[in-house]
Amino acid sequence: MTADQIRAHIDPIRHEFAEPRSLVLPALKFAQTEKGHLTREDLEAVSAATGFSAAFVESVASFYDRLYLEPTGTRVVSVCVTLSCMLRGADEVWERLCDREGVSHHGGTTGDGRITIQEAQCLGYCDRAPCIQVDADETVGPMTPESAGQLVDDLRVAPAPDEFWR
Amino acid sequence: MPILNSVYRHREAGHVLTDVAAYREAGGFDALHTALGDMEPDDLLYVFHRSGLRGRGGAGFPMGRKASFLPKDAKLAKYVVCNADESEPGTFKDREIIQMNPFQLIEGIVLAGYAIGAERGYIYIRGEYEFQARILQAAIAAARDAGFLGTDIARSGFTFDITLYRGAGAYICGEETGLLESLEGKRGQPRLKPPFPAVAGLYSSPTLINNVETLSALPPIVTRGADWYAALGPEKSPGSKIFSVSGHVTRPGNYEIILGQTTLRELIFEHAGGVRDGRRVKAIWVGGSSVPVLGEQHLDTPLDYESLNAVGTFLGSGGCIVMDDSGCIVRSTLRLASFYKHESCGKCTPCREGTTWMERILQRIVDGEGRMEDLQLLESIFGRISGKVLCALAEGAVAPISSAIKLFREDFVAAIEQGGALRPEPMWPEAPAEAR
Repeated sequence: MTADQIRAHIDPIRHEFAEPRSLVLPALKFAQTEKGHLTREDLEAVSAATGFSAAFVESVASFYDRLYLEPTGTRVVSVCVTLSCMLRGADEVWERLCDREGVSHHGGTTGDGRITIQEAQCLGYCDRAPCIQVDADETVGPMTPESAGQLVDDLRVAPAPDEFWR
Repeated sequence: MPILNSVYRHREAGHVLTDVAAYREAGGFDALHTALGDMEPDDLLYVFHRSGLRGRGGAGFPMGRKASFLPKDAKLAKYVVCNADESEPGTFKDREIIQMNPFQLIEGIVLAGYAIGAERGYIYIRGEYEFQARILQAAIAAARDAGFLGTDIARSGFTFDITLYRGAGAYICGEETGLLESLEGKRGQPRLKPPFPAVAGLYSSPTLINNVETLSALPPIVTRGADWYAALGPEKSPGSKIFSVSGHVTRPGNYEIILGQTTLRELIFEHAGGVRDGRRVKAIWVGGSSVPVLGEQHLDTPLDYESLNAVGTFLGSGGCIVMDDSGCIVRSTLRLASFYKHESCGKCTPCREGTTWMERILQRIVDGEGRMEDLQLLESIFGRISGKVLCALAEGAVAPISSAIKLFREDFVAAIEQGGALRPEPMWPEAPAEAR
């Protein structure tokens, strides 16, 4: 994404913050919507748009789980594995989904590059455990190993989103 | 087992309150008219104080007292910051407020802003709640259009606006100073306190930070009065509190109860449907995962701050995770250890290294490679973390592990002696047969 596109996004909200550094996180999140991850060029564009060094911008980006500095699959599937979900079968959902999609039990991206499967910490949907979130869409549950597989199959044939909010 | 839906006004109304008209119909913004029309900021502050409302995010600090710590004569701008980074394992109460009753939160933030003399509030919402963020963003815009935000609110001359700020996936940003760092556009690593946010918070300005539920409790307190609120429940723990119940219960969900008038047993069995037939409660993390674990013998404890402290735990966020006797306490404790290891921000060495070692040792016990000395080794690590870190994350990591080893020592010993802890069959959710 270009610095000008990022400026167009953050300029309207600039007055809401006493210090411009607050714009770095919104700028990073917006820059990521183009490709679903942040490249070196994206970090430099955020740097140019916000006026903070690329090194600082990268230090911020590397802190947050939902900012990706490496390419991901077209869709990112987060499987919650924290306690409430674990008690309701999250480990079984996780392992069977990884096996089905041919990625290790540490997660990863499928061979066709369509889906990244990752473990997530508590997503705040413990009443619908075990739950799964696709990108930053509304979290869904309760899941079973079968319904999780179906969810991934559906994602595979769905068109890619226009913007990657994740 | 009284239910009081004063924060969950949408439940009282029987439908979602996501447009201004519906919220007005349900008595919404009455408090704002009362406060801005008839009350001085200090009078409003005094109402908060007299209500006895305590912070609902986890720490339980009296809200009115916290607000009174902001300097009165400060030349700096003041801010209200709403902590909507709901990330404590087992906690999903704020999600429902934001999704079903967002204007009550907005009204509460404006009231807090008026009381402390702020002109801007921020809502910091976790990145995973993008769906809720969009509902809230629309509600903020609607409130502005209706004259409840912006300049000259309700023709009172008071000017105040709210900015929604999205996180990007970090539990530590729910810690108040980690949140402020993140809101300033930095890595969300907690600050050394003092100075406390009331004196030097956002942009080093006086800042009031409260949880979504705390701020949403303010409008009913203003309309019905501090005396009404203070008379609900015990003297030191008045009011209503939302408990999110999850895990091995048949009706997981949110329940807003009056403090002190409901026991843990009633919450789990009467509201949340209890454990499955033939099962018994084994372990309960009553205030989110960062609190000492309780056992079946604690079920008759009343739910209020003091009663829970008396049995050695904390009310915390009200995220009540229940495990029945089919579950494995050793594996559950390991899972929590892994959570804190993942979420440690790395700033304090005792936390960064300590959470890593606690996970490793518990992992080898689960894997059958544990040694009896591992329990002493774990206990020696607790003392090297507690009190030697900047924030409560590490204390929250130690509490569920140290308490589990104390309360369920025989389970840990058995896992070491018998060559590991087997994975139990989970409690599968009710699902249509064809989906299984």
